[in-house]
Amino acid sequence: MKTNLTCDACRIELTAYVDGELHPAVARVIEDHTASCASCRGLLAQYQAIAESARRLPSIEAPAWLADRVVARVTRPARLRVLWTRVSAAAAVASFALTVGVIAFWPRLSAQLGLPQPGTWLASGLDGVLNLLVAAPKRLAMDVTFYEPIARQIWVAISSLSSIPRAAFLALRTSEAQATGIALLTLGVALYLILRPSRSHERGIGHACLSL
Amino acid sequence: MEGDERELVRRCLARDERAYRELVRTYQGPVTNLAWRITGNADDAAEVAQETFIRVLRSLQTYDPQRPFRSWLFKIASNLALDLIRRRKRRPIGLEDLADEDGPAIEAVDTGPAPDEGMRKEWAGARFAALVAAMPEHYRAILHLRYREEFSYEEIAATLGMPLGTVKVRLHRAHEALRKKLNPEGDAT
Repeated sequence: MKTNLTCDACRIELTAYVDGELHPAVARVIEDHTASCASCRGLLAQYQAIAESARRLPSIEAPAWLADRVVARVTRPARLRVLWTRVSAAAAVASFALTVGVIAFWPRLSAQLGLPQPGTWLASGLDGVLNLLVAAPKRLAMDVTFYEPIARQIWVAISSLSSIPRAAFLALRTSEAQATGIALLTLGVALYLILRPSRSHERGIGHACLSL
Repeated sequence: MEGDERELVRRCLARDERAYRELVRTYQGPVTNLAWRITGNADDAAEVAQETFIRVLRSLQTYDPQRPFRSWLFKIASNLALDLIRRRKRRPIGLEDLADEDGPAIEAVDTGPAPDEGMRKEWAGARFAALVAAMPEHYRAILHLRYREEFSYEEIAATLGMPLGTVKVRLHRAHEALRKKLNPEGDAT
């Protein structure tokens, strides 16, 4: 009995059929089709042979050392941690003993070797640090006291500069004043252009005036 | 079996060295062979297997017991093997028939009669192994997981981190490519 399934559709599903991954209903359709179609039946046989061959592919043995090496690597950090803890504890004990010994024997050693007493070192060191801590803010306060009036004067002078444009604006309110201003400005520009020194005017009046 | 596996994982989590050894010995064969199938080299396979078990034992607390242990283990092994291949740029020559998913579709052909017994024996031999070895690494991994480890398509998809459809398509393409290589006369008819 020939089904409605086309050969193309059947062939796409053949691998999944060989692997038993199809829904039973779909598998039955494939079986019906392959029963009636020699071409698809041949392809199915080849796919089955490939699957069988793949199951018999050669394999290798795992290396004999694998478990030992893995266990050694995995447990090594724990062993290192234990070792580190012990070494740290020993170092702490040795350090404590050394400190106690130095404190106990230093006065006698310093007296024998002519070294200053540790108490003197400590006092002079503390004194130096305190002097430094006090000197810095003291210097800062002095500087502020000295520069503050000067800074205030400069600030007042700068503030007064803002009145100049305001005065100029008030002065130029009348048309006569505006005309005078423009005339003066034009005259200033003309004088600058005439008198400015340059290569082309080396022998001109501007150069002569500046050379005086 | 699943209960034993769970118990073994529990003992490993309790830092039992004997359990470590037992876990490695239980899975060393399948892991080494998967790595060998992907890398194509026994020394590389041993290196991958060693690194796989070290990672598994060190990150066992992140393992979700709801998932199959084998799938998690093989996922780590396949990732390490594929990384090794990428690092060394030692890709074997892929079969030209294995276009990627966006490549041309496989054409239906008249395949002629079914293979006889002699052909089947030949396919089981060295030639078949050589053809599989010449395939791209993802195809080799899929073939190995399906036919040597008897993984379902879903397990393969979870292990290799690819969609189920991709597994299905790649297995079909692997079959088709192998068939064409083993039986070129079948295509002509």
